[in-house]
Amino acid sequence: MKTPGKALLSVKGLTKDFGGIRAVDSFSFDVHEGSITGIIGPNGAGKTTVFNLVTGIYRPTAGSIFFEGEEMAGLRPDKIVRKGIARTFQNIRLFNRRTCLDNVLTPLLQRERCSFTGALFGTPGARRLERELHGRAIELLSALGLGKYASWQANTLPYGLQRKLEIARALATEPKLLLLDEPAAGMNPEETRALADLVAEVRWKFNVTMLLIEHHMDLVMKICTPIVVMNFGALLAAGTPDEVRENPEVVAAYLGKGKKTNECTSG
Amino acid sequence: MWPGLFLQTLITGLSIGGIYALMAVGYSLVFSVLNFSNFAHGAVIMLGAYVGLALASKLSLSFGIVLAGSIAGAGLIAVLNEKLAYSSLRRRKAPSLYLMISAMGCAVFLENLVYATIGSRFYAFPEFFGRQVISIGGSSVSLLDVGAFLFALVAILGLHLFIKRTRTGIAIRAGVSDMTMCSLMGVDLDRLIAIVFLLAGGFAGVAGVFLGIKYLVYPTMGWVTNKAYIAAVIGGLGSLPGALAGGLILGVVETFVSSYISSVMRDVFSFSLLIAFLVWRPNGLWGTDSEEKV
Amino acid sequence: MDYILSIIILACINMIAVLGLSIFTGFTGLFSLGHAAFVGVGAYTSAILTYYYYVPFPLALAAGAAAAGLVSLIIGIPTLRAKLRSDYFAIAILGFGEALRVVLENLEITNGARGLPGIDNFTTFPIVLACLALGVFFARNFLRSRWGAACIAIREDPIAAEMAGVRLFRTRLLSLVVSAVYCGLSGGLLAHFLSFIQPVMFTLVQSTQLLAAVIAGGMGSLSGPLIASFVFIGLPEALRVAQMWRLVAYGLLLVLIMVYRPQGLMGYSELSSFFKRKSNPGGRVQP
Repeated sequence: MKTPGKALLSVKGLTKDFGGIRAVDSFSFDVHEGSITGIIGPNGAGKTTVFNLVTGIYRPTAGSIFFEGEEMAGLRPDKIVRKGIARTFQNIRLFNRRTCLDNVLTPLLQRERCSFTGALFGTPGARRLERELHGRAIELLSALGLGKYASWQANTLPYGLQRKLEIARALATEPKLLLLDEPAAGMNPEETRALADLVAEVRWKFNVTMLLIEHHMDLVMKICTPIVVMNFGALLAAGTPDEVRENPEVVAAYLGKGKKTNECTSG
Repeated sequence: MWPGLFLQTLITGLSIGGIYALMAVGYSLVFSVLNFSNFAHGAVIMLGAYVGLALASKLSLSFGIVLAGSIAGAGLIAVLNEKLAYSSLRRRKAPSLYLMISAMGCAVFLENLVYATIGSRFYAFPEFFGRQVISIGGSSVSLLDVGAFLFALVAILGLHLFIKRTRTGIAIRAGVSDMTMCSLMGVDLDRLIAIVFLLAGGFAGVAGVFLGIKYLVYPTMGWVTNKAYIAAVIGGLGSLPGALAGGLILGVVETFVSSYISSVMRDVFSFSLLIAFLVWRPNGLWGTDSEEKV
Repeated sequence: MDYILSIIILACINMIAVLGLSIFTGFTGLFSLGHAAFVGVGAYTSAILTYYYYVPFPLALAAGAAAAGLVSLIIGIPTLRAKLRSDYFAIAILGFGEALRVVLENLEITNGARGLPGIDNFTTFPIVLACLALGVFFARNFLRSRWGAACIAIREDPIAAEMAGVRLFRTRLLSLVVSAVYCGLSGGLLAHFLSFIQPVMFTLVQSTQLLAAVIAGGMGSLSGPLIASFVFIGLPEALRVAQMWRLVAYGLLLVLIMVYRPQGLMGYSELSSFFKRKSNPGGRVQP
């Protein structure tokens, strides 16, 4: 395993208020290059809000988000994607009525600089680019085992494959950091194990750093290091799986009497 | 002469604003419960005016009965409209845009049905009040305008009390905040929504009669309700006090624009106001901004 | 024969505007109740250019289309930047369309509400057909391009689209401008076919008709709205139905579609997909 390098993502004092409610409360943490960092915490702890802040869907009330040393807070989501942060969603958000191929092709196309008039007239150059990206999309789909589903409409895929397609679409933006929001939600233990392997594989194959929110403790403890624990919008603890597991505060707030929670909840 | 003109303009504006408010209240009431823009409201106002006109000119009834008849007629039409064009969409939880388009379809349908059957002629109500004029501080104002204004205030206040005090009103307010929860609590949603449309239609009937008396009755008169939408947006969509305030403000501002700047610019100004509010203050003058949760 | 030809020409002119609105509503997912105003801008701009300034017809047509595109920026920039709720956007653009009509009714150069008579009859069947063919060609290429993919992604899920690198505001604005250019072209052709235009020809009612064709034909299909628009114009003309009964039918149709078949005639597929081998209809067969 590569030794964790410098901080790729560094969140400092991140705060988000909704009306009078403080969803995230001066939250700070780092994601080191090459790591698979896990965020855990009870429902409503503010984990997904952190994702929405990092990806620019929400503007932070206060605090900074540094990505490769550059401030991301306040940038538009598409800008942040271009800087190299991609994500999936807790409740899968695919381009439902498009094919799997189109789902992956869309972000690939957005990365290209192409001429508008060339595209309108369907010039040979535009067609060549189209074929090339088509090939890349198929490659990506195949890498995630979706090759034979290329022409399927996204919402007709089985649930587990929809999650994979979402990951494929995120990878098509060629991210350095991939945020996965509860990738194992709704999966049975067997599928969860397969997902763990997939996450590890994707990390090597695409050389991405990962940050994931997960409720399946087995999965988090197995693949994530370090783990960041959130409670009431604030940082509760951070460390290796063992450190987190032993931390009395975490046990009190989240794991409850030292018992592991296995249930899968959405929050 | 300037202060005199100012006062006259203000009074004229308020009297127009009262009718705008009457139109906006019904529209806003539906918006508050079903959360969509009921473009058919204008057509219901128009039909209410025709009902009133028929009662007044064919049967030569007195003003009170004409008004009551038109309230009942427009109320029933509104309920029927909901049952036929909205209820199934509402039940399958269609996006509010679909309801809005269906409403637009209803408006085009009803308006042109009247056009094709009754014709495009302009009809005038028989004179109920004569042309009596009373004078306030040196400015004159017609009795009709004062009556319409006071009636609008009383009616909207009555509706406000109904919603705040009665059991049904409380159920409506509960429906406003959460329809699904409301039905889980055992409220008969269909009945509740029928009542909402009955009320909205009733107000449309009143607005139709006053509009018809003040101006004339014709198939496309419902498009004046564009002003009702604008008034409702200014006051905050879905808010009843907002509809009243928005109606009055729009009436006054419009009258000032048309007498001090140009009457041509009046409608352009109103529509620009609509767009400006939707863009910068979508929750109206007194609304608070809310960030949508993902 | 002339009568039938004129019906076909009218239908084709209408199809060009519907094509534009289809890109905006069907493929980008934004509803508009004001696109007839862009038809009006195109009609008046081109007509004024040929009528008062003797500008060559093709140039005037292009100018009309460009003017419609520019005017669409006025409403598009503030509303789309503010990311209005979709129904608020529809109301805002309705207001804009009505305001534009009032302006047309009160300008000196448009001859006000009385309308502009005596515009030269430059629009011929071959010209209309060529415009329509080009329109379809460009629309198809647009939809396959980076920008078209971005539009469809926004229709499907704006937030997911942004996370796929789509620029929300710019893409929506582009889609609006493209649709307005189509409408403007359609207006220019209309003015020089009818040789008489009037502000009342470009109101909310016409906007609703355009939208009805897109919705009835199927949002997310080009061929569906084209067929619908042809039927909407052609059938009542051929049967010589009076305008108001036509509108009664449009209104009823809108309600019926919303209640019974909101996905429209073609849904999200194209006519051509019915002729292709049914390789994988809806993606339901075999793994």
